[in-house]
Amino acid sequence: MIVRVAAVAAAALTLAGPAAAACAKPHTSLTALEGEIMCPTCHTTLDQSDSAAARRIEHFIQVRIDQCATESDIKADLVRNFGAGILAAPPRKGFDLLAWWLPLGGLAVGAVVLAFGVWRWSRARGPDDEPELDPDTERQLDDLLARLD
Amino acid sequence: MRTLKLTGQVVALAAVAGLLGLLVWRLTHQAQAPKIGAQAPVFSLKRVDASGTLDLASLRGKPVVLNFWASWCGPCKGEAKMLEAAWQQYRARGVVFLGVDYHDVTGDARRFLDRHNITYPTVQDGSGKIADRYGVSAVPETYFIDRRGRLVGEHIMGTVVHQRDAFQRGVEAALRP
Repeated sequence: MIVRVAAVAAAALTLAGPAAAACAKPHTSLTALEGEIMCPTCHTTLDQSDSAAARRIEHFIQVRIDQCATESDIKADLVRNFGAGILAAPPRKGFDLLAWWLPLGGLAVGAVVLAFGVWRWSRARGPDDEPELDPDTERQLDDLLARLD
Repeated sequence: MRTLKLTGQVVALAAVAGLLGLLVWRLTHQAQAPKIGAQAPVFSLKRVDASGTLDLASLRGKPVVLNFWASWCGPCKGEAKMLEAAWQQYRARGVVFLGVDYHDVTGDARRFLDRHNITYPTVQDGSGKIADRYGVSAVPETYFIDRRGRLVGEHIMGTVVHQRDAFQRGVEAALRP
């Protein structure tokens, strides 16, 4: 009987350990972060990699999630360890902002150039120079059409 | 209108020239692995086993065995014992073993050092920039540097356990005056 109680207590303790370690209300999930973090050795995001390095980083992320770390905390930890190249998208601050704004700026400039080109092209066609019919000719044409009806 | 057209052409030409310049710069500044006999790329990296940084240039005058590894790398575990034993064997002759932890989490790296009783200095190359400059394609890889800072011996790709002779030759080449 004592042995059975001891076994149950040991099992309860074994299960209680990880449960207590896990965060009750995690701020993020491994699934959410996998697509935003690069595998440094294979140059794909973690969700597309099965390399040993990717698995270690996933484990690291899961441990930090279990410690109730936020997404930005985890990313900061990873950047400290691996450098900014670990992030799939460049940070939205400092010099890295250029990576976000340059494509948008390029699109805006392209749109302006296109609009200007279209405007110039439409003006280059000039006024409609097809001669209008004089009233006499127009009347004769109407008469002719009326006779045909 | 003519001025506007000319300005547009100049801007377009400048943009193309800029992109071309960027391409040429990238091609000419691409990291190329140094050949045996060439100077080993120097670096200054944060230590994993202690506080502060370690500068490779500060080891000039000493033969260096440079081992790139990572805690997630299976073969690195396999060679850790042999490297520590070799360090104990050669340190009396002035050889410095230096581990470079590659693309790794600091906590994992420290646990690895503890688990395998590694006592030689280890630095961290988290971004892999230094490994790129050496042309490391996968860990483990081991290089030998002589007293004058030149790469000597054979560059060992993979675990040294299966390349003991090459390892021996590398250390002896580094020891040569």
